[in-house]
Amino acid sequence: MMGEVLIKTENLGISFGAHKAVSNMNLELEEKVFTTILGPNGAGKTTLFNLISGLLKPTEGKIYFKGTDITCLSPVERVKMGMGRSFQLTNVFPNLTVYENVRLAVQSKENIGYRIFVDHRNYTSINQKADELLEKVLLSDKKSFIASKLSHTEQRKLELGMVLALEPEALLLDEPTAGMAIEEVPTMIEILAKIKKTGTTVILIEHKMDMVKALSDKLIIIVNGMKLIEGEPEAVSKHPEVLKAYLGGGVIDGINT
Amino acid sequence: MKSLREHIQRDFSKNVIIALSVLLIALLIFPKFSSYTMLNLLTRIFVISVFAMSYDILRGYMGFINLGHAVYFGGGAYVAGILYNKLGTTIPVFILSIAVVVLYSVICALVMGKLSFKKGTSVFAAAMLTLALAEVVRNIAESWRDVTNGTDGLIFKVPSILSNRIFFYYFSLIFLIVMFIILRKFILSPTGRVIIAIRENEQRAEFLGFRIENYKLIAILVSGVSAGLAGLVFGTFNRFANTELLSITYSTNALLYTLIGGTGTLYGGIVGSIVVNVFQNMLLNLRSIHPIFERWLIFLGILYIAVILFMPKGIVGTLRHFIENRKVKSDNEKSSKTEKAPGE
Ligand SMILES: Nc1ncnc2c1ncn2[C@@H]1O[C@H](COP(=O)(O)OP(=O)(O)OP(=O)(O)O)[C@@H](O)[C@H]1O
Ligand SMILES: [Mg+2]
Repeated sequence: MMGEVLIKTENLGISFGAHKAVSNMNLELEEKVFTTILGPNGAGKTTLFNLISGLLKPTEGKIYFKGTDITCLSPVERVKMGMGRSFQLTNVFPNLTVYENVRLAVQSKENIGYRIFVDHRNYTSINQKADELLEKVLLSDKKSFIASKLSHTEQRKLELGMVLALEPEALLLDEPTAGMAIEEVPTMIEILAKIKKTGTTVILIEHKMDMVKALSDKLIIIVNGMKLIEGEPEAVSKHPEVLKAYLGGGVIDGINT
Repeated sequence: MKSLREHIQRDFSKNVIIALSVLLIALLIFPKFSSYTMLNLLTRIFVISVFAMSYDILRGYMGFINLGHAVYFGGGAYVAGILYNKLGTTIPVFILSIAVVVLYSVICALVMGKLSFKKGTSVFAAAMLTLALAEVVRNIAESWRDVTNGTDGLIFKVPSILSNRIFFYYFSLIFLIVMFIILRKFILSPTGRVIIAIRENEQRAEFLGFRIENYKLIAILVSGVSAGLAGLVFGTFNRFANTELLSITYSTNALLYTLIGGTGTLYGGIVGSIVVNVFQNMLLNLRSIHPIFERWLIFLGILYIAVILFMPKGIVGTLRHFIENRKVKSDNEKSSKTEKAPGE
């Protein structure tokens, strides 16, 4: 199962004032391994994503992507290198149609440059890809809806579709089921399972245990901004330190049963 | 290659095409029946409409408040005047002035864009920066008396054909139509789409891999050059330029046209420009009836407040909303299964 290391962090850390949100983070995320990051609220999971994706600049340490030091690169440059991310709070273009949301993402991937006198509707291959993606995330019938009029779950799917359009090598998903009703989780698992099959390296932050169990090849537990332990799901869930740290967090029960 | 007809049919419904054709014919024969005063009012509206549309690119499509937009408009008028005064009132000078205005606007837009689109600059700080930049230019115009004639304003002659009111009416109408088509094409281009995306959610656009600053720069370049050209035509029309054209008054005027007409539509700028100019003209005429209309600015202010209170989306936005509601209603009556989404 061990592949090449896709994302590596060295001693990565960030402080907000005196508060160390992430510290001493040494990670090696391998290619084609579905990694799930677990940890209590406020543990620093989202902050870690913000560091990796370039939204925040670390106060210490380094980040490597495909062997290149990307610590000082802008988010756009990281996207261009093949990194895509979704956000914990739904992050789409609210007043544009579902189709246009995805089409924009495809347009970015296709890298057509700064054309100013060609009609955007004339790019048939972009339009076709946008349609395919909407199918993938089960939103074809909502194509001409305004994004903000979608249900919360549909918006999450839409955002996923947008990130998928970038065909990222590393896909960072921050709680894609946040705020979703329990009965809607299975479709999301299904979608992610398909993505996993295509060989995309997924790094997932998730609290919903069905999801974690169904998909993860590897777990990383983060507590207080530090890595507590990492490894295969079975082993991690039985680890005494995890048991201790996760006082009734529900995580362990979920995995062991 | 699609024919022009197919292109038009894709973007406009049959009723709109008919309405626009009727309007165009009416405007074409208008000079036959109109007084010079009316003709001048319409000419003014055409030119101001372009200025308003250029503002809409930034405010309506990109979501950026530019308080220094007058720098392009006033600059355009000054360039025309200065060149005519120095080089003579010939058509080649007019053509040269177009090139100079484009160059001037590009430089202003690059400076303004580079400074105010820096990452981490708040919307408020950016707006203040644009204002400050325009004030710098206005001050230069004020103190560089040899060239600009300072606060007295610059009076100049223009090539004789351009001082023909009927010719200029048609010229301005064509200018408006051409600029409308160009700006619409821009908005429909892939780059235009990204500019709308930036308004909607800058962070998401960035994390889709769009270099935000470049797109913003393109937007301000297109907007600035359009406003500069509008200023050039406006100056040529009035044969006069003064520092007011460079002042915040004109920047906020542009803002108000789009507020009243509706933003993010391009048409909105035209409608706003019509409403404000016609209203202003009416008030000025009423001055001879009652002295209270001397204070016409107050009435204009009341108009602004009324529109903002009762039509926060502007006239075009409110109309669209109304039409869509009716369409949804009639769709529902036809028990349609698919919900129609509003345009753009
Ligand atoms: N920009 C910021 N400025 C200051 N403090 C921050 C910032 N971002 C995060 N923090 C703090 O860092 C800590 C970690 O937050 P983070 O959002 O990474 O947690 P999380 O693990 O994602 O939690 P959750 O499960 O609730 O999403 C929190 O204490 C938070 O208040
Ligand atoms: Mg989080």
